[in-house]
Amino acid sequence: MLKSFNKKMAVFTAVLAGTAALGSASIASAADSIKIALAGPVTGPVAQYGDMQFIGAKMAIEQINKAGGVNGKELEAVVYDDACDPKQAVAVANKIVNDDIRFVVGHLCSSSTQPASDIYEDEGVLMITAASTSPDITTRGYELIFRTIGLDSMQGPTAASYIINAVKPQKMAVIHDKQQYGEGLASSVRDEVKKAGINVALYEGVTAGDKDFSALIAKLKKEDVDFVYYGGYHPELGLILRQSAEKGLDVKFMGPEGVGNKDISAIAGAASEGLLVTLPKSFDQDPANARLVEAFKDKSEDPSGPFVFPAYSAVQVMADGMKLTSSEDPEKVASSLRANNFKTPTGDLGFDGKGDLKDFSFVVYQWHADGSKTALTK
Amino acid sequence: MDSTMPESAYYFIQQLLNGLTVGSTYALIAIGYTMVYGIIGMINFAHGEIYMIGSYVAFAVLAGLALMGVDSIALMLAAAFIISIIITSTYGFAVERVAYRPLRNSNRLIALISAIGMSIFLQNYVRIAQGSRDIAMPSLITGGWTFGPADEFNVTLSYMQVVIFIITLITMTLLTMFISKSRMGRACRACAEDLGMTRLLGINTNQVISLTFIIGAALAAVAGVLLGLYYGVINPYIGFLAGLKAFTAAVLGGIGSIPGAVLGGLILGVTEAFTAGYFSTEYKDVVAFSLLVLILLFRPSGILGKPEVEKV
Repeated sequence: MLKSFNKKMAVFTAVLAGTAALGSASIASAADSIKIALAGPVTGPVAQYGDMQFIGAKMAIEQINKAGGVNGKELEAVVYDDACDPKQAVAVANKIVNDDIRFVVGHLCSSSTQPASDIYEDEGVLMITAASTSPDITTRGYELIFRTIGLDSMQGPTAASYIINAVKPQKMAVIHDKQQYGEGLASSVRDEVKKAGINVALYEGVTAGDKDFSALIAKLKKEDVDFVYYGGYHPELGLILRQSAEKGLDVKFMGPEGVGNKDISAIAGAASEGLLVTLPKSFDQDPANARLVEAFKDKSEDPSGPFVFPAYSAVQVMADGMKLTSSEDPEKVASSLRANNFKTPTGDLGFDGKGDLKDFSFVVYQWHADGSKTALTK
Repeated sequence: MDSTMPESAYYFIQQLLNGLTVGSTYALIAIGYTMVYGIIGMINFAHGEIYMIGSYVAFAVLAGLALMGVDSIALMLAAAFIISIIITSTYGFAVERVAYRPLRNSNRLIALISAIGMSIFLQNYVRIAQGSRDIAMPSLITGGWTFGPADEFNVTLSYMQVVIFIITLITMTLLTMFISKSRMGRACRACAEDLGMTRLLGINTNQVISLTFIIGAALAAVAGVLLGLYYGVINPYIGFLAGLKAFTAAVLGGIGSIPGAVLGGLILGVTEAFTAGYFSTEYKDVVAFSLLVLILLFRPSGILGKPEVEKV
C-alpha cells in the first residue's frame, strides 16, 4: 500500500515538474545573442491579448535579425507566462532576473506590470510595456520603466469627451470590475462627465469572473439610464451585453480597449453591435505599415489587435537604443530612449522623463456583431 | 398580475426571480458537496471542476450535433443532458477511485489536500486540452415573458429561467424519491448514519460511496449544461467560483443535509440578488458571506443541519 502510494507520488511529482518546465519556453538559442524576455499571459482568461503582444514583438525581433541584428548580435525572444496574475508576475520577474536577461517587453495587465516593475528597476532590467495603461506604473520616479502605449488618463478623457459631445446622455451609469485598470478608467470617466453636468445615476463595481449580472441589469433598467460606460475587460462586458439584450435593457454601452477584441462578439453575439470602444489608432490600417501587415499575414497572424504594433515598437526602440549607445547596458539604453526620437510603425516616438510616450492618441470606434469596427473619431 | 402595482413591487419580483434562478443552480451543485460530506465526512473540493467539465461536455455535444446538421432543440437538449451526465459521472467516479479511496483511512487533512490537488489538476487539464479562452455556447432557448407596464420598469422572465426552475425541481424530486424509497437510497442513508456499522451488516459501502460521487457529479452535470446555456460562456475557470458559492450554500443550509443544500442555495442566491439590487453589486459577496458567518455563529451546524438526525 505504502509502496504503491510512493510510486503514485513519484509520478505526480514528475508531472508537476513537467508542468513547471512549460512555464518558460525558449524560442531559439544562439551562442552570442541578446535575450529579450517577453512577459505576459500565455494562459488565463486574457491570453489573447498576450498573443497580440507576443506576435508583434517576435515579428520585430525576426525583422531586426534579418537586417543584421544589433551590435553584431542576434536578438532572442524568451517567453514567460504571468497569466495576468500579479503573484505569478512577481515570480516571472524574479525568474527573468535569475536567468540573467536584462531587457523585458511586457507585462500586459497593469496589475501585473506594477509589481514586476519594482523588481526590474531594483535589479537594473530595462522594461517596456506595450499594453499596460495604468498611470501609476510610471509615477514612481523609475529610470528603467517605459511604455509604448497610451495611459488610462488619456483614454478616459477621450471616452468622456465623446460621451459629452457626441452621445449626450440624459442619465448614465458607470460600471467597473474593481481592478486597477477598470476602476481607474471608470473613475476618470465619471469625474469628467460629471464636470460637464451629465447625471451619473449609478457608479458600481462588479466582480471579475462573475457570470450573473441579472441583478445589476434590473437595477440599470429601474434607474432608467440611457448610456453605460464599462471599465474592465470583455468577459464581463460580453455577458452584461448579452444578458441586457435578453432582459430588454436597450441602452448603448461604451468600453475601453480591454473590451475591444473579437471575443466580445463571440460572447455577446448580436448584442455587441453598436458598442462604442476607445482603442489606440489602428496601426494596421496605416498605409505606411502595409509591408509589415503583409509580413504578419504571410505567417497567418492577425495584425489588427491593439497591442501588436506597440509591442513591435517596444522591441524596435530597445534595439535602436542599443545601437545608438553601442552597448547592452540597460541604464545607458534607458537614457538614450529619453534623449532621442525613434521612427517606428506606431509613429515618431519620444519618451518623457517618466518613461511615457510624449504623444499618443486613442480613437473611438463603433463595434459590429461580426467583430469588425468603424472609426467614429480621428 | 395587477396593473396597479407600484414600480417597486415589480422591481422586487424581478430581483426575487433573478435570485431564485442563481440559487437553484447553487443548490444543484451544493448537493454534490453535501452528499459526500454526509457519508464520508470529506469535502470534495474538486466538485466545482466536475461542474465545469459538465459544461464542456455539453458544449462538445452541441457543437458536434450542429456539425451533423441536427437542428431540433429538444433533441439537442436531450443529447447534451444525457451525454454530459454519463461522461461527467464517469469523472466523478474516477476522481473518487484515484484520489480519495486510497486515502480514506488516513488523516482527513490528507484527503482534503488530495481534493485540492485534483481540483487544480482538472482545471489545468481542461485548460491545456481546450484552451483558456472563453467559449461561446449557442443559445438554444431564447425569448421570455414580460409583465408590467410597458413604459415603466417591467419584469422579464426568460424561458431559460423557467427551464432552470423546472429541471431543478424535477432533479430534486427524483433525488428525494431515490434516497427515501429505493434500496440503494436506504443503503446511502445507512452509510450516512454509521459507515462502519453498515459495512458490518453486509452492505458494500465502497459501492455506496462510488454511487454518491456519481450522483453528485450527475447533478453537477445538469447544472453545467443549464448554466452553460443560460450564461452562454464557459471557460476552464468557471468551476472555482461556482464551487465556492455552492460549498457556501451547503454549509449555510447545514452540510450533510440535502434539503439544507437546496435551502442554502436559494437563500444565498436571493441574498445576492437583493444586495446587488437594493444596495450595491460591489457588496454582493460581502453580504452573502457575512450572512454565512452570522448563521454559523448562532447555528454552528447550519440551518437544517442537526448532527443527531440522519444525513446523506
